[in-house]
Amino acid sequence: MFFHKKLSHTITLHPSFLGPRMREFVTQRLYEDVKDLCSGRYGYIVAVVAILEIQMGKILPGLGSAEFEVKYSAILFRPFRNEVMDAVVTKVNRMGFKSMAGPLEIFVSTQLIPADMKFNQHSNPPSYHSEEQKIEVGTLVRVKITGVRIDATAIYTIGTIKEDYLGVIE
Amino acid sequence: MTRGEAMIKRKTQPRAQPEGELDAGKLELGEDFQDAECLLISEVKVLLEAQYEGRKGEEEDKEMSGVFTRTLEYVQKFGRYTNRDTIKEVRALMKPTSLHPFECAQLGNLCCSEYEEAKSLVPSIGDKIGDEDLDSLLKQMDSLKKYQG
Repeated sequence: MFFHKKLSHTITLHPSFLGPRMREFVTQRLYEDVKDLCSGRYGYIVAVVAILEIQMGKILPGLGSAEFEVKYSAILFRPFRNEVMDAVVTKVNRMGFKSMAGPLEIFVSTQLIPADMKFNQHSNPPSYHSEEQKIEVGTLVRVKITGVRIDATAIYTIGTIKEDYLGVIE
Repeated sequence: MTRGEAMIKRKTQPRAQPEGELDAGKLELGEDFQDAECLLISEVKVLLEAQYEGRKGEEEDKEMSGVFTRTLEYVQKFGRYTNRDTIKEVRALMKPTSLHPFECAQLGNLCCSEYEEAKSLVPSIGDKIGDEDLDSLLKQMDSLKKYQG
């Protein structure tokens, strides 16, 4: 689920940056720090929407660097257990298939794929198919997240398509 | 665990809630997200496309982050509402209901055709809204999507 939240980040600037373009350096540094960041607590930080406030810098005694606390609002992407989302299949193998929902990877194992969908290793590309549906790389699927594991820098999820209204999207 | 160990553990533990407690099916999103604003995929699309246009103009060689690019492709593929007015109208349709922002966003993203599908995919809705009201809401959202500019 995408969220819009106000966050806070501390930037430390070397004394050489403390000049007329100081604020610019602070914002630049914020964009660089937050780019590609996946926090365990807030999920993926997709983009900074606006910088709300750059508080007055505090000089660190002994170092000369200045510390700024920046308040900004950002778009976050954070999956939850039992949330349903759409995804694109990226890899299919005997164990199940991997799909991507934005920056998040969701793995659906064979056990959580309906029994009537069989793995066909001879098809090119490999796929799962039943009489009515086929899952191969590029298929759009509706997945329900069954497990979320968050460590400091990444989120790993597993999902299912074994319930009603889940599976291939026409 | 002794009381002393428990006190030390509390100080060094990160504040995030254990993952096992969070459950979208019961609307338990943890203290960080329980009251956070939920965005429709189409709203994210509008925001990211605006940023992309802005950044494209600035520096050609600035690399977009992987997360940004993958999310942009995703929202362009799955964003159902193409213009801002439609998104505003969808939001206005859901405002008078007593649904949680998370549930509203899920309904907007999944675009169910009937109330059974909606209640199955977003189980936390439960009895917050009657079947007929939900059905009429879904049909209005569907017609907004069909007849958008």
